[in-house]
Amino acid sequence: MTTETLPRTVERSLWANRLRALLTQENIITIVISVIVGAAVILPLVTLFISSFKVLDPLGWDTTWGFGNYVTLVTDRVIPKAFLNTLIISSGTTVLATTLGVSLAWINARTNCPGRDYLEPYNLIPFFLSPFVGAIAWHNLGEPQTGLLNGWARDLFGIEGYILNVDNIWGVIWVTGIFFAPLVYLFVVGSLRRMDPSLEDSARTTGAGLVRTTMTVTLPLVMPSILSGAIIVFVTSAGEFGVPFKLSAPYGWETLTTQIFSKAVGDDANHFLGATMAMSLGIITVFLIWIQQRYIAPRSFTTVTGKGFRPNVLDLGRWRWLALGYNLSFIFVAVVLPIACLIIVSLHPVWTGSIIPEVMTLNNYVKTLFFWRPESIQTATNGIINSLILAFGGASIAMVMALVVSYMIHRTKGFGSRLLDFLSVVPIGFPGIVLAMGVLVTYIQTPIYATLWILMLGYITRFFPYGQRNIASIMLAISEELDQSSRMAGASWFTTMRRITIPLLKPGIFAGWILLFIIFLRELSISIILFSTGTETLSVGVYYLSNFENEPLTAALSMAQTVLLLIAIYAFRRIAGREALTA
Amino acid sequence: MTSDNRSGPYLEVQNLVKWFGDDRAVDGISFGIPKGAFLTLLGPSGCGKTTTLMSIAGLHSIDSGRIRVGDVVYTSPKEGIFLPPEKRDIGMVFQSYAIWPHMTVTQNVAYPLEIRKLAQSEIDDRVADVLALVGLTDMADKLATQLSGGQQQRTALARAIVANPLLLLFDEPLSNLDLKLREQMRVELKRIQNEVGITSIYVTHDQAEALVMSDEIIVMSKGQIEQRGGPHDIYSRPINEYVSNFIGVANLLRGRVVEVTEPGRGIVEITDHGKHIRIPCRLGPGIAEGQAAVLSVRPENVHAERENSSDSDLEGEVLQAIFLGSYVDCRVRWGDFEWKVIAHPRMGLKQGEKVFLRLDTEHTLAVQP
Repeated sequence: MTTETLPRTVERSLWANRLRALLTQENIITIVISVIVGAAVILPLVTLFISSFKVLDPLGWDTTWGFGNYVTLVTDRVIPKAFLNTLIISSGTTVLATTLGVSLAWINARTNCPGRDYLEPYNLIPFFLSPFVGAIAWHNLGEPQTGLLNGWARDLFGIEGYILNVDNIWGVIWVTGIFFAPLVYLFVVGSLRRMDPSLEDSARTTGAGLVRTTMTVTLPLVMPSILSGAIIVFVTSAGEFGVPFKLSAPYGWETLTTQIFSKAVGDDANHFLGATMAMSLGIITVFLIWIQQRYIAPRSFTTVTGKGFRPNVLDLGRWRWLALGYNLSFIFVAVVLPIACLIIVSLHPVWTGSIIPEVMTLNNYVKTLFFWRPESIQTATNGIINSLILAFGGASIAMVMALVVSYMIHRTKGFGSRLLDFLSVVPIGFPGIVLAMGVLVTYIQTPIYATLWILMLGYITRFFPYGQRNIASIMLAISEELDQSSRMAGASWFTTMRRITIPLLKPGIFAGWILLFIIFLRELSISIILFSTGTETLSVGVYYLSNFENEPLTAALSMAQTVLLLIAIYAFRRIAGREALTA
Repeated sequence: MTSDNRSGPYLEVQNLVKWFGDDRAVDGISFGIPKGAFLTLLGPSGCGKTTTLMSIAGLHSIDSGRIRVGDVVYTSPKEGIFLPPEKRDIGMVFQSYAIWPHMTVTQNVAYPLEIRKLAQSEIDDRVADVLALVGLTDMADKLATQLSGGQQQRTALARAIVANPLLLLFDEPLSNLDLKLREQMRVELKRIQNEVGITSIYVTHDQAEALVMSDEIIVMSKGQIEQRGGPHDIYSRPINEYVSNFIGVANLLRGRVVEVTEPGRGIVEITDHGKHIRIPCRLGPGIAEGQAAVLSVRPENVHAERENSSDSDLEGEVLQAIFLGSYVDCRVRWGDFEWKVIAHPRMGLKQGEKVFLRLDTEHTLAVQP
């Protein structure tokens, strides 16, 4: 009998079989992508956390472990004020952006305001442009001496001094408020459009008047969307770097982000203290995003059905012209005025606050764009090339990752899919500058530091969830049976992806790609932490010109960035349409 | 091993167990079917029929058991075997049809052949043949989005059979069609399956569909098999209350077997419903004297009569008589029980009339509760 050898051979083939059953294409891809995503997301955050307990000694030579950095947060001369300023700016921005966003959404979705279908794309433009560039434009409009509006006020009305000063905390609130209003708009307009009109009609039939119906039915139904939008605005403005850096920090109003920046690259660089500040900011934002995702976002779907209703439209009568005026004013101050100002300033060799047609020149564009010309400014021209590389490459890599991650989340079950789902929400909770600090302290001693790769890593980690959401919304809408029937027809996982899944997801993949392209093209708060000489990005170039050159040169590069963004926005709208945005 | 398989059933499922979280979706079921047969898994939603089908397809793993077709073991966790779905050579028709919207009918149907790397000329021939078989020759170049529900259904069927797979699986394929089309497609599906002769497993919750199409039916409930048999068997000899209630319509009365008169026959005593009566009947399998049993009588085996010609103790009052063309659907109150009775329209039964009910002893069955 061979009874002694038999169990061994059976056992070996059993394990061989099990291994073969495990090593499927999708399992291998899942493991590889999970490890990459896990490392990209978790590693910087863990390193950031650990670094926050490393205390630099006064000479800057050595570190010890302890809570010293957290003590400094409270005892420092500037940091507590920066906390307070961040709180004031975020609160103010939230109030302004929510007021603007909700009112504009209501006008567009629920009133007979003339031309509302044409207005919507323009209402959304600020969402895609750079708030930093917005701050630069408003600085040139509302600076007490050289602000264009102040100059006009002096020339036209003979006013002494100035009528407007945006170089303070209120200027920051004003600029971030108008730039983030579209965020609230997007959250709210969808639920206003998709609300079942019979919910309101039935309130009207019980005898409730228009105001009462609005207060008791419409508003409570839209409230979760408003709250979601408000929280996102609060978190985004707390993490916003460019606007306070341009408008308030130079005048004595530091914020957390500007402080993190100075600790990361400034003369008194202390990465560990920077990491501690980033950690505290991250804890606050993650907590708020967690509340939004866990408690508020799910509720906005219970009341709003997905069916294509024609929402009730309110006849505003003669007031509709006022609504139109209000909406046009928003577009004017958010889009037209800043861009016009940038163009005007960029044409002057020096900006003094008044338009001088005789001296106008395109020289600033030559210096910032024509990298082959000897007079060109390297930092600016590098920025355009680097940003285009990062935007093309980063968006492409991120979308491949987003595709696989969405597939794993929505098409497979089990631990891996839940883990990936979690990992693809986490980056949304961390402001770019916080994640960038984590990436900096993680990779500063590796070869990828000071290359474009570290920037790309930061970009992709922070923003791939946006691409993932674009794909996921389509993936949830198409039946899983479409994939399964391909497998049953004999196609492998790869072939199914290539011939069935990806072609069906094409619109979502394109929309996500362009969205990431836009985000990467204007990215500032990650780049400002991770760039080094030679790897400047477009926004870093703008920062450099603004800090070390003059306003006209800054305006010229800002305009170049804005034009690139406007082209991308146009492409996005052509491909994705309005549904991809409001979904 | 090999010779063993040849003599056994073509498809064999042994002790299949599948958990979903804490829920035992399939609870150790076993069955086998011969080559070319048409088997239906029938049961309400959540009974484990679709899970069984998905296990055979390989669209999810199983926790224990073994699934084999011919000489090929599809799944056997104990042996560490899991064949991915694309290696199983199965054709499947999904509930949503799953016709790829970015391809034409021809492209959809040709897909399995392209995957198998057949020569283009052969692909063209076979696609044309199959489209003719399902009656879609005229639709060959239409996009899936331009097709009606029935046409999508036919495309899905064509795609499932074109590569001449080992097995054909149907997951409630007719449930999204309207009634008229559903009835037409039942016959059509059966005809095509007959013609191609591929061993088929069909999952449905519609008992009429199961009766019309199947060679054999497995009735499932809570992850287990209740009964297996031919359509006629299942209908006329349900093994228990659950099956007789699920298949067709039945009058079900709880009682006790008081006497076995001869093998397979006996008398059931009914004491519920404020009545006390003994009814002679046939005894289902596993029914012995003194046991609790459920009396199951189909409405067509209950005869309502104005004269008490058979000394029936079942005297009741017509509650409702609904004229349905070829027959009258009656409800007759007897104590607190309502008999479902099928009467001939010529009798002209009226609401409120007194009638006597005569049970067809040959078709009065005592089954397990």
